[in-house]
Amino acid sequence: MNARMRRRRFLQAGAAAAGSLVLPGKAPAQGGAKPLSGTTLNIACWSAPYAKIVADYIPEFESATGAKVNYDTPSFPIYNQRTDIELSTRGSAYDVLNVTFIYSGRWIGAGWFTPLDDFFNDPKKTPADWDATDFLPGATNALKDKAGRLYGIPWTVDIYMAGASRYDLFEKAGKSMPANFDVLRDTMKAVHKQDGVPAFLPENHYGWSFIPFLQGFGGNVFRDPPDDLTPVLDTADAIAGAEYFSNLLREFGPDGAISYTYDQVVATLKAGRANYSPNGQIFLLQMGAEDSKVNKTCAFSICPEGPKGRFPGVATHGWGIPVGSKNKDAAWQFIAWAMSKPVIRKMVVERGYSSIARRSLIESPEFQGKLLVNGQDISKIYLDTIAMGASGYMKYRTVHVYPQVDKQIDIAIQNIASGQLSAKDAMQQAQQNSLNELKRAGVKL
Amino acid sequence: MTTEPSSLERLLPAPRRAPAALPHWRREQARAFATGLAPALFVLAVITLGPTVYLLVTSLTPLDPVHPHSALDFSDPVGNYRTLLGDGRFLNSVWVQTKLSVATVGLQLAIGLGVALLLNAGSRFLETARTAFILPMVLPPIVVAVIWKVIFTPDVSPLHRSLDALGLPVRSLIADPDLALWAIAVADTWEWFPFTMLMVLAALQMVPDEPIDAARIDGAGRIALFRYILYPYIRPTLVVAGLFRLIDSIKAFPLIYVLTNGGPGTVTEVTNYYAFVESFNFSYWGYGSAIATVMVAGVLMLSWLVGRLDAEQQRDE
Repeated sequence: MNARMRRRRFLQAGAAAAGSLVLPGKAPAQGGAKPLSGTTLNIACWSAPYAKIVADYIPEFESATGAKVNYDTPSFPIYNQRTDIELSTRGSAYDVLNVTFIYSGRWIGAGWFTPLDDFFNDPKKTPADWDATDFLPGATNALKDKAGRLYGIPWTVDIYMAGASRYDLFEKAGKSMPANFDVLRDTMKAVHKQDGVPAFLPENHYGWSFIPFLQGFGGNVFRDPPDDLTPVLDTADAIAGAEYFSNLLREFGPDGAISYTYDQVVATLKAGRANYSPNGQIFLLQMGAEDSKVNKTCAFSICPEGPKGRFPGVATHGWGIPVGSKNKDAAWQFIAWAMSKPVIRKMVVERGYSSIARRSLIESPEFQGKLLVNGQDISKIYLDTIAMGASGYMKYRTVHVYPQVDKQIDIAIQNIASGQLSAKDAMQQAQQNSLNELKRAGVKL
Repeated sequence: MTTEPSSLERLLPAPRRAPAALPHWRREQARAFATGLAPALFVLAVITLGPTVYLLVTSLTPLDPVHPHSALDFSDPVGNYRTLLGDGRFLNSVWVQTKLSVATVGLQLAIGLGVALLLNAGSRFLETARTAFILPMVLPPIVVAVIWKVIFTPDVSPLHRSLDALGLPVRSLIADPDLALWAIAVADTWEWFPFTMLMVLAALQMVPDEPIDAARIDGAGRIALFRYILYPYIRPTLVVAGLFRLIDSIKAFPLIYVLTNGGPGTVTEVTNYYAFVESFNFSYWGYGSAIATVMVAGVLMLSWLVGRLDAEQQRDE
């Protein structure tokens, strides 16, 4: 038996063990009855790469446990809107839902998710080697309440980094991946429209893609989140950041750049029709996939540094159990299975899943090998960025009223990039509108 | 023996007679009908009036699902409406809606009427053409939105590529604040002009041949024929079609959601999209309900106004 076969056998055995379980005392009963026979679990997550991979493995869970799983993966905004309504009714339509990073403060703070500590600390429900402490604290912290109870098991740590689909054009122009904002602008100028390829394309969710630029110029979203939620979008630093970012979009983006959603950005990069993009690693690394036209020419780097420092975004999402679920134990069995070491390792090895939150697997040779793209070690970017994110500059993102301000930032950048308003006017308008929205939400400023 | 009424009697209105009492079986029949209909009427009232009443009641509260008790907070019942009056984004959305509605209804009536006149003849080719013209209307709205998203994305658009090849490059329409709303109007017109076309076509086919033949014999040209014969026949249909399209234009959503998300900035943010953002992105359900209530009132008022104008015009004629 060769090494590849042995590894496959090992993984199959591991996955089967995880499926049947992770659950001491819940092994299939004699006579063929399975522990969750007759149970239907309704599960939803937004259409992240991970969520699509999980869909392919769910039949294994169903086969091992006897459960029937209804699984749904709408787009990010649709998922969040639908889930927000569902959770607010405390309904029982879903048993397992993704705790979206941007909504975590709101959903956990409102008591709409079930604390998971009693599940993973109970040896009858979770085996000791499942190891809840294996998840990166930087990921789990965002999914805890003030008392330290955990409401979501993180399936990703998405980091904001930079990728170039046509790095060959950079080299041709004598440039490398930009280390800071000054160099970034010069580099974009040098490679723009080379071989007909526009140089710069972030996704049009600017409440995510613009923030490292805002903070890099010394600005922020709130004055001191989560204690002081006064918006600070109209400071000189914030205006300078907005102007710089919008100019990049206007001068070096493809025609209609402000209309590109995250899935369009990924498709455009993979086709080599736009070059440099600052974005989440789960999206950028798809440039290295087999079906990508640029898998031989793509390159990556850590987020460039601004005049006031480097602030790459770090986001996490996790599986949680809504308080209204009628199948909480079965729901936990699904989460325990999906987030078990063997199943995640399998996703890394078989599907190249590269955004995991289990430290033991991040340090494993399988994972490190997957993060070697065109000879470049992405795992270093990954771990360095996660370490930076732990310093606290991401606290703005999990406050319960961030979605309101997020929308104002989107509008402001569109207004500047489309030439409707100056950076100063657009950011002052965003500030005023944010203040109005927060007052409406009852936030004391 | 019967007596003929005198000429004076003929001019006077007939004396009102007291209504004769209904026979017993008639009363029973009416009661049976009412009893039979009552459950259906009750269900209809619950389904149609219930949500409207709930919408109105919610609009009087600051309901936010994070604070469930706010559903019963009537301490400032007109607070949401007061805020609306000073909400620049809401007022802008009403203006955007007005522009979009006027543009789309006008274009759809004009194009629908024009195409109906062209197709108003009996031939196999024209029958096939009619079916082809109906296609956009029967496509799911989200599919229409995706089609236009492709057409309006220069990187992959056949339209932009063709214009480029002809040496007539056009910048992205949906990213241009001056053109984005008109781009949506074009897409909406493409989707819905077949509705007007169908209604007008049906009305045209009901026009009797005699007046048309008579007008032709009298030497009427095409324009005179349309103005004095066809138009009076199809005018009520045009009013109804316009009213339907006007009400429907206020419900425009999938095109805006997919094509522009209300942007660039807020130039394509119509009122129902704004209500959606406030309700489902920010969870201000009370405020979103107030916006929706204002919209419902606006639609009812428009319907009443158009109906009344048309009735008055018909009376004058």
